Amino acid sequence: MHPTRRVGSLARALGLLAFAPLLVVSAAPADELYRTTIQPTLKQQCLGCHGEGNTFAQLDLSTRDGALRGGQRGPAFVAGDPASSLLMAVIDHEGELAMPPGGAEKQLPKSVRSAFREWIEQGVPYVEARSAVRWDFDEADLWAFRPVREHPVPSGGFDPGLVRTPVDAFILSALAERGIEPAPRAARETLVRRVTFDLTGLPPTPVEVEAFVSDDSESAYKELVERLLDSPRYGERWGRHWLDVTRYADTAGYSNDFERPNAWRYRDYVIRSFNADKPFDRFVLEQIAGDELFPHDPEAIIATGFLRSGPWEHTGMAVAAVSRQLFLDDVTHHVGQSFLGLTLGCARCHDHKFDPIPTKDYYKMQAVFAKTAFARRPLPFVPAESTEGFAEGREPFDGRLEVLERRMHDLHEAARDRLAEEKGADVAAKAASSILQRYMDKEQAELLKLLRKRVTMHKLSVLRFQPLAMTVSNGLEPEWDTVAARSSYMKPAEYAEAKTHVLVGGDIQAPDEEVMPGALQAVERYSGLPAPTIPDALSGRRSALAKWIADPRNPLTARVLVNRVWQYHFGRGLAANPNNFGKMGEKPTHPELLDWLAKFFVDQGWSVKAVHRVILYSEAYRRSSDYPDRDALDAADPENKYLARFVPRRLEAEELRDAMLAVSGELSDSVGGPGTYPQINADVARQPRHAMGTLRPLYESEPTRRRRNRRSIYSFQQRSLIDPMIEVFNGPNPDLTCERREASTVPTQAFALLNAEQSRDLALVMAQSLADRPVDKRAGDAFRRAFGRAPTPEERDWTVRFLEEMTAHYRDHPAESREPADDVVHDITSELTGERFEFVQPAYTGPYEHNPHPSDATPETRALADLALALFNANEFVYVY
Amino acid sequence: MKRSVVTATPSRREFLYHSSMGLGSIALSALLHQDSARAGVLAPRRGHHQTKAKNCIFLLMEGGPSHIDTFDPKAKLADLHMTEFVKERNKFEASMNTGKRYFVRSPFEFRRAGNLGIEINAKLGNFADCVDDVCFYRGLQAESVNHPTALYHINTGNRFGGDPAVGSWVTYGLGTENENLPGFVVLPDHAYPQGGAANWSSGFLPAHYQGTPLRSQGAPVLDMRPPAYVTDFQQRKTLEFLGQLNRAHAQRHPRHDDLSARIESYELAFRMQAEMPAAIDIDSEPEATKELYGVGAADPEVDSIGRRCLLARRLVERGVRFVQVIVSGWDSHDYIEKAHGSRLDAIDRPIAGLLKDLKRTGLLEETLVVWAGEFGRSPDNGVRGGGTAWGRDHNAPAMAFWMAGGNAPRGEIVGATDETGRTAVEVVHPIKNMHTTLLHLLGLDDAKLTYFAQGRDKQLSQTGGELIKELVA
Repeated sequence: MHPTRRVGSLARALGLLAFAPLLVVSAAPADELYRTTIQPTLKQQCLGCHGEGNTFAQLDLSTRDGALRGGQRGPAFVAGDPASSLLMAVIDHEGELAMPPGGAEKQLPKSVRSAFREWIEQGVPYVEARSAVRWDFDEADLWAFRPVREHPVPSGGFDPGLVRTPVDAFILSALAERGIEPAPRAARETLVRRVTFDLTGLPPTPVEVEAFVSDDSESAYKELVERLLDSPRYGERWGRHWLDVTRYADTAGYSNDFERPNAWRYRDYVIRSFNADKPFDRFVLEQIAGDELFPHDPEAIIATGFLRSGPWEHTGMAVAAVSRQLFLDDVTHHVGQSFLGLTLGCARCHDHKFDPIPTKDYYKMQAVFAKTAFARRPLPFVPAESTEGFAEGREPFDGRLEVLERRMHDLHEAARDRLAEEKGADVAAKAASSILQRYMDKEQAELLKLLRKRVTMHKLSVLRFQPLAMTVSNGLEPEWDTVAARSSYMKPAEYAEAKTHVLVGGDIQAPDEEVMPGALQAVERYSGLPAPTIPDALSGRRSALAKWIADPRNPLTARVLVNRVWQYHFGRGLAANPNNFGKMGEKPTHPELLDWLAKFFVDQGWSVKAVHRVILYSEAYRRSSDYPDRDALDAADPENKYLARFVPRRLEAEELRDAMLAVSGELSDSVGGPGTYPQINADVARQPRHAMGTLRPLYESEPTRRRRNRRSIYSFQQRSLIDPMIEVFNGPNPDLTCERREASTVPTQAFALLNAEQSRDLALVMAQSLADRPVDKRAGDAFRRAFGRAPTPEERDWTVRFLEEMTAHYRDHPAESREPADDVVHDITSELTGERFEFVQPAYTGPYEHNPHPSDATPETRALADLALALFNANEFVYVY
Repeated sequence: MKRSVVTATPSRREFLYHSSMGLGSIALSALLHQDSARAGVLAPRRGHHQTKAKNCIFLLMEGGPSHIDTFDPKAKLADLHMTEFVKERNKFEASMNTGKRYFVRSPFEFRRAGNLGIEINAKLGNFADCVDDVCFYRGLQAESVNHPTALYHINTGNRFGGDPAVGSWVTYGLGTENENLPGFVVLPDHAYPQGGAANWSSGFLPAHYQGTPLRSQGAPVLDMRPPAYVTDFQQRKTLEFLGQLNRAHAQRHPRHDDLSARIESYELAFRMQAEMPAAIDIDSEPEATKELYGVGAADPEVDSIGRRCLLARRLVERGVRFVQVIVSGWDSHDYIEKAHGSRLDAIDRPIAGLLKDLKRTGLLEETLVVWAGEFGRSPDNGVRGGGTAWGRDHNAPAMAFWMAGGNAPRGEIVGATDETGRTAVEVVHPIKNMHTTLLHLLGLDDAKLTYFAQGRDKQLSQTGGELIKELVA
């Protein structure tokens, strides 16, 4: 995102490329063998008779001692010597005794037998899944688990005149320790652009810039910050940060990538929560257990969409138990990363290698969600929710179902006629679809499959306008439409009976000890916050965990959040890995400041906006990105970890698109509601794409400019089709939590900004409004809108000359007009025949409000569009200083 | 969205592009900014050990090709044909694979090929000439019978998506020989596979290692060409003006490396724009070569796959490190004779052409060719809708896989499946060991090829894999 980070990650990359791994993490192969093969096999095939309760033939294979001692026939194993080990002969069926019982049919597969051989060679190591947990961690790696301490604000050693908020005292004190002078304040026009993008994700308007630049009182800055914090655009920007962490999408991912038609209510809930400065502890409680704790508050019901934000799919080809476990692992890991800054997923298969998180704790946390079922339940819209776009949003769906159903009906009737010829009218009249399909040819059967999928997708899509919530319940609620009700996924009784076991190697086929719901022992051990009492009941598990996370004494929660906030302001967290406060995350550069902020945050009623203020009002935030003596600074603090200067950042993908919309004047002010479809690359929109077994519909952008050109946070987020413009500028992968956006520079970004129709169309929109201005005002206006400043005399000259040249060029080069719409023919290879199956996707023929096109523009306007396009591509537009 | 839609139908026009793509290298001088520090993330580098192969062409057969009907015939199934049985519902089995089932014999004839007389489907008459260069591996096992998860698994090592693709890891490890082309190129079928672009994502690796799909229509790389109304003059003048602005800005903000990197990225973009048309201009190939691959064949499927295979060779020749060709349509639950039969007809010439051409040009020595699906197919089929349709369901414990080139063994069969082809029984290994071996054959050590992400040093095999020694000559 900024140079220091880039250098950091590059250095790391190059370090690794030199093939000097930071440390070796792979388990000893014998341990791995034991966990993945030996232990599950013993458990399933042997211990029933020789270990767990029964010790037939006096043989106990459940412990290493027992196995080596052996039974009636002697030791089962000779460590290190498979050839002399009785058990090898027994499982190889090479002696008089053959196990498991049942003859050749039941013989263990060769792969398992060779695993046993290898394991014996390595000395028969039994690895205890629930071994004595080690707690001998380096104190330095436990900082995040220790209580948040109250640190005095430093004084002395630095110029007190540079202290605006306590943040400055901490920063200046650390700089002074290293003998580094801070950079001077940034210019006012730089500052207004910096803070406006930071808080709203949009550029300041020329009027806003002018107002701030012309008033150099201290109160002008405060007024600016307060205005931005109060702006509804603030929640759109900061909500996006949280959605990066939660992996928000409007679809479920994988093969069908079916729509989650009510997910948008969670997105809007997040935006509202940030705008309202909802106390963060309440935000935690609502997202983890809103349905239990605040059952009458619709916001809290919507909030639990958080728990379902990961990609998830269950089909007839998937194993139900695996699909369920996929959700349980996802939600456990995800709650840990989002709120606690811990990579709990590492403890799924083995005790965490770096952090004090035993596997048992992981499964205790997982047990909290053992009863959690997916639910789609009726929930009236609250007044704050936006339904303004419903009428327009529904339009493209009108009549579609009828068309699909008519085509399906026609296919069936044609088959019925064929059946009637063969078996008579009476049989045909009564025949169900499954019978009729046998009277369709392969083409027709393929078409039917496609139409059916479209019907399913259509019916899901129109639910987005219904007052329904994507939420959870404890066990299945029969009156609510649940995922389970639509598939063979899980039956009601299975939730009631669901127990949680430690899974050896994370394998559902290797359950070990049963565990009760709980939280992390390390937190109690190192911070003193008592472990929560979590009921072993259907209801109340999530509430208890949520309260424990939101407890002011929890050492992780507040630290994790203030660190995220700090990162979004400065480009780098005080601890540089916001999702990882364990050993492998970078240690905080300013531990006292982090604690001070965490305590301040809780003391201020968990107010995120209070944290913004104490940061934004500081001098540290207002520093220039240029530094008088860079060589000296780079020698003292090459990565600028101590913030002597402000680090410029590249705009995030959504900011870049939104900024182009804003400065062109095209940005829609429409807020909230179901996701809308922006203009995307036409080739991608028309690209044929699979949905399980058939073709997906075309991507179609919204017919009106107002709906196409909303802020990017309101774009429909389809996991299997990311807007290439967003993707190429390091938009987050919606399947993974994103703790920090990358900002790599790749050549395809140049194609997207310079060649793509979206950029060029917006440049033309901007040109149209510039063309309405007097000729001598155009250059100045364009620069002020795009860069927030007037052009230098030199830039003005270049611009005037460029416009003249281009205008003259266009007088001789009229643009060809827009090509008319045409049908798209999609095809896939039929599963039934292996041959091409073609499907005509008819061209959209309804009303469509086109973007302006160069063929309708005057030479002057086209020249101005080139100016606007150059500005969009300029480094000054793409970076914030 | 642009409404001036053409068609997405495959046609002979695939990969025929205008040679004039808007902007040549002349305009670059407008962008050049001193000698900017090239980060070198894609610069070619040596692997961890000496090996022959330095490039890889991965032929991914999407949908799960049947090993039983391609390279691993099972005589026993002729005896068991139509024998019914019931497979109990099991909580660890997908519902698709349970219930009333019946065995299905292969409807295909097999023939012997190569010095060892290796049995392959008789439809693969051209491929039969190449068998002595191929190592058939029958011990590989997938872990999922669900398409998207199995595809993610074979492509990224992780069943649940989001991790870097094999091609991304290889490019991360070895860089690329031609900085004007992407290091990792994907040649998808007309329709994108299940799970979409996550199949070639760079995951947590830097975006430089992302697979770039070369599209068969429109601009091969998205927005490589400006809209039709943009003239060369306009493009050049805009870039000149942009260069002026950026240089002035950089003077105001010295010591900001990202700025020069960004200016340089425009230069790279247009070098790519200049080089790509020649790289993909298949028509410049001699007729005999096109004929070898089936380019121009009457069957549009042969033509389409032939073009992609030929393009794969051209790209590797020009220094692209990893090319993945995706051929979909192998999900033959029903009527496998027709469904698989037409696929086999479609791939025979193109794939044989690729192997022969690589061998003829000496490229096979330094190019590892891999052919695999995401899983295999079952020896039996489910009774669906009360009827039988002689197809096969998904099968994870045995699958079809072969490779050729580099240090891969030649003309051998490694491993074996049981008598019905349900499960691998010899030289049995999971996907992660195949990945470890693939990296090894390219000179890379999975245990050393790591990247710190999500709290630990991640690797392709996830937690460490084992080298399949039998697959290294």
